[in-house]
Amino acid sequence: MWLPIMGLIIGVIIGLLTDITIPEEYSNYLSIAILAALDTLFGGIRAQLQNIYDEKVFVSGFFFNIVLAASLAFLGVHLGVDLYLAAVFAFGVRLFQNIAVIRRILLTKWSTTSEK
Amino acid sequence: MKKKVNSNRVILSLVFLVLGFMVAFSFRVTQDESDNRKGLTDRQWDQHISLRNELIEQEEKNRELQKELNEKQEKVRNIEANLSKEAQVFFNMAEDAEKYRMFLGKVKVSGDGVKVTLADGEYNPDEENINNYLVHEHHVFKVINELYISGAAAISVNGQRISHKSYVLCTGPVITVDGYQHPAPFEITAIGDPDVLSSALNITGGVKDQLVNDQIVFTIEEVDDIQMDPILGN
Repeated sequence: MWLPIMGLIIGVIIGLLTDITIPEEYSNYLSIAILAALDTLFGGIRAQLQNIYDEKVFVSGFFFNIVLAASLAFLGVHLGVDLYLAAVFAFGVRLFQNIAVIRRILLTKWSTTSEK
Repeated sequence: MKKKVNSNRVILSLVFLVLGFMVAFSFRVTQDESDNRKGLTDRQWDQHISLRNELIEQEEKNRELQKELNEKQEKVRNIEANLSKEAQVFFNMAEDAEKYRMFLGKVKVSGDGVKVTLADGEYNPDEENINNYLVHEHHVFKVINELYISGAAAISVNGQRISHKSYVLCTGPVITVDGYQHPAPFEITAIGDPDVLSSALNITGGVKDQLVNDQIVFTIEEVDDIQMDPILGN
């Protein structure tokens, strides 16, 4: 279990130490990408808890969603439509749904263990 | 099964690494924007400050050097002032030397001046003493002195240059100037301001009147561009 946490810490350190500055207009894409990543992560956790977790689906979904969200925002900027709002909406809704499902599963598990 | 779990973990940690990187990076970017330091990171800020300090140091150094330069320039200006003073002194000395050379008859002199001719008076049978109407050396003296007083630069008698140690002697019917005998009439040539010289001689009761009283034929004329050679063997 320590390996993913190590990865997280190393990622945070790299992110804090890099001296790369990106133009302000690209920070939107980054936020969208983070939202997509979080969505996929919670989706993965839910799938794990529901025992339908598939690694390939999770990993491919993680990176694919990031790229897709960023390119959607990019396309929206160039078309003059705030398409990133659609991504924010979709990912946000799904994020809350996933978290709700995880909460319910955990509650059920906890109540069954306490009944025992 | 163990290997499966391992690869699972590795891929999961990769995912977490990307996630952590993105979150941290986004966090930092947003913070930079809110700080609004023209997009400067800490390291750039440090660099900025060190460059500024270096600049300040250089400017202080420049100022000191500028001060030094000003001092040096002041010194140079003092030296130049002294030099110009000295140059003025030398110029004056050279001028004096030239003047003295002129008086000593060491150099050739040329310029405008006057020519005074002193001739013996007409033979007068009534006069007992012939000396009463001859030109004597003191007449020549008078003219020469008057011309020198009036500022003549150079004087010659019958073409012979007069110097500071010249002598004029009366030797019977002729006068001797520096060992050379000159008969009448005597032509005394002087270089100087013609107006001044002639008016000095013509002044009432002056040299001209005295000489005319002594029965001497006195003529004066202003001459342009007189040339006088230096005294030989001087």
